[in-house]
Amino acid sequence: MSETIPPVLPLELVDKCIGSQIWVLMKTDKEFTGILRGFDQFVNMVLEDVSEYEWTSEGLIRTHLDQILLNGNNICVLIPGGAGPNETL
Amino acid sequence: MTTQGNIEKRSPADFLKQVVGKPVVVKLNSGVEYKGVLACLDGYMNIAMEQTEEHVGTQLKNKYGDTFIRGNNGK
Repeated sequence: MSETIPPVLPLELVDKCIGSQIWVLMKTDKEFTGILRGFDQFVNMVLEDVSEYEWTSEGLIRTHLDQILLNGNNICVLIPGGAGPNETL
Repeated sequence: MTTQGNIEKRSPADFLKQVVGKPVVVKLNSGVEYKGVLACLDGYMNIAMEQTEEHVGTQLKNKYGDTFIRGNNGK
């Protein structure tokens, strides 16, 4: 019972996610899902095969983008392997 | 801000090097999009573009020559 769990640094967790799907929540009503290609110290992110989701009063709007550089300034939450939002929420 | 390109690359610095000279879409926090040819940019994500068109839903303004977008507007 005296096992200690090794700490995981946030950037390590993001690094493990490179090459696989990630779900990104922004501070605003926007979300992105896509394959993580890379990131930097500011957590600006290069994503590929991206779905951009916007929550509006009319409902959820989805756009597809090939490759993007997502500015880290407004990123709030990262979810490795996340499938993204669905309409029912 | 988001920019669209077509080739695989890795981190943001690599991505940006590879995208210079290509047509891109820059989307600001406000939702306004700017489509143009990326001339250059710096470490603060300040962007210089040529032949830019400004889109808010529908097309509003046309710009030719150089445009400069300050990096803090990106989303």
